[in-house]
Amino acid sequence: MPKVLFEPEGEATIEVDALEDMTLMEAALMGGVPHILASCGGICSCATCHVVIADEWADLIGKANEEESEMLDTVASRRPHSRLGCQVKLANAHDGVRVIVPGES
Amino acid sequence: MLSYRKYFGVIATYTALADLRAGPMNFAVPTVVVRKKNKRSRRDAVTLATEIYDPFAFAAGDDPFPIYRKLRDDYPLYHNRKWNFFALSRYDDVAVAVRDFRTFSSQFGTSLETLKEQVPVLINCDPPDHTRLRHLIAPLFTPGQVQGLEATVREYAQALLEPVREGAEFDIIADFAAKLPMAIICRLLGFRQEDEDMLREWTDLCVHREEGVFEMPEEGMQATLKLYGYFEKELAARASSPRNDIVQKLADAEKAGSLTREEVLGYLYILSIAGNETTTKLIGNMAWQFDRVPGAYSEARRSGDLWGQAIEEAMRFDGPTHMMARTTTRDVELHGGTIPAGAKVALLYMSGNRDERKYKAPDRFDIARNPRDHLGFGGGLHACLGAALARLEARVAWEELSKMMSEFDIDTSGVKRVQSPQVRGFTSLPLRFAR
Repeated sequence: MPKVLFEPEGEATIEVDALEDMTLMEAALMGGVPHILASCGGICSCATCHVVIADEWADLIGKANEEESEMLDTVASRRPHSRLGCQVKLANAHDGVRVIVPGES
Repeated sequence: MLSYRKYFGVIATYTALADLRAGPMNFAVPTVVVRKKNKRSRRDAVTLATEIYDPFAFAAGDDPFPIYRKLRDDYPLYHNRKWNFFALSRYDDVAVAVRDFRTFSSQFGTSLETLKEQVPVLINCDPPDHTRLRHLIAPLFTPGQVQGLEATVREYAQALLEPVREGAEFDIIADFAAKLPMAIICRLLGFRQEDEDMLREWTDLCVHREEGVFEMPEEGMQATLKLYGYFEKELAARASSPRNDIVQKLADAEKAGSLTREEVLGYLYILSIAGNETTTKLIGNMAWQFDRVPGAYSEARRSGDLWGQAIEEAMRFDGPTHMMARTTTRDVELHGGTIPAGAKVALLYMSGNRDERKYKAPDRFDIARNPRDHLGFGGGLHACLGAALARLEARVAWEELSKMMSEFDIDTSGVKRVQSPQVRGFTSLPLRFAR
């Protein structure tokens, strides 16, 4: 089960041991990560689980698809490695992944 | 052969689930309140001599909002002694609780009654079961995916309005809003169009409750067994000739070993029922607000592209799901009191949506408000899976209704509300309209 390091900007890092098949959004809720509101529960319709994948992990995690990318366009703090946490499914290969959580999502 | 024994677990689960829709409720305001908000001990902070908020006692309470306000203002951590549950009513408290699934668990059910036996179903479980179940079909319910259904929804909506179009009155629930969501969910699941009426009759029986009786009546048990028999036949049919629908997806998951047969049946049951009644109630509640608030309907109709905003405001102001329950996994300190571990907690979504601490003039229905952070669809892991579909269906419904009706009013003599501790809306709502 992959460990995820959430780094809310300006706050302490939160380590979460994600359960099997969880998404980044679900892992964030499990860890009580600030700024992850997850209003829509993972149907790619609210962008309140916006995260930024750390540079060294971005290739492995991959890019947003078209629908996710359109949602990300509504986020003011969008960056090159932005993803919606609900659309990133975790696997064992992601153990130790670093994820930045912008102050507003 | 079908038997109660075989399906007992699922029936027990859904007896509790369906109870959320049918129990009568009582919002009678107590005349004596002996405890005051400033007291800080646990008992004083939350316990009243007379229950302010009693979702199970019988009364014809149509307006719960003054009760919600009292809870928010004076008893933000409220304990109902009669039924032994706690209630959270402020937006911030409910929003935190829906996200913190480790503290506010769903695995003991999302109604206030205790589940008798548990089969993992989406609504009544936590991770990792929830993760496994939800991810199976969540990708089918994104806005982009359901968008592909718009033409189908419109076709169905137009066909349903055809028989009433030339008249001057119809029941927006019975003639229209009760039928549209069922037609669409049948299409998604992969059930035959000619079976819709029969399936709707069965699912209606499953959620129907007699006043004051919190058990599924015999008719509901029989209907549940009929549904399960139907699902089994559909699954068997797909084993020999696969199709591209949700039944097939779940059958494949069973074959791959990620779902048990019981879970597949439970999933089909919940999908048949859950997305059905609430969308019906949303369309009806919107009619009610349009009738009540001068100018709202004509403004939305004139503009043509305000239906989406009107839906969000309706979900905030008068959404169908008023409350869902959780069970605490640890002691929770809040507002000077304690919710002990193992307690049932009612999360009052519609109270949160009327919280003055969150929304300006919350008791005003204003389609310009366009709130996207309301609790009408819940939030967190269990946020409504079908929200995008509900939005699509309600928007297309009102686009088509507004083509037919330049204006309308409600025949109040025929209005009937569902009496339920958790769902608010109409079972009958006759409209008189001008073309």
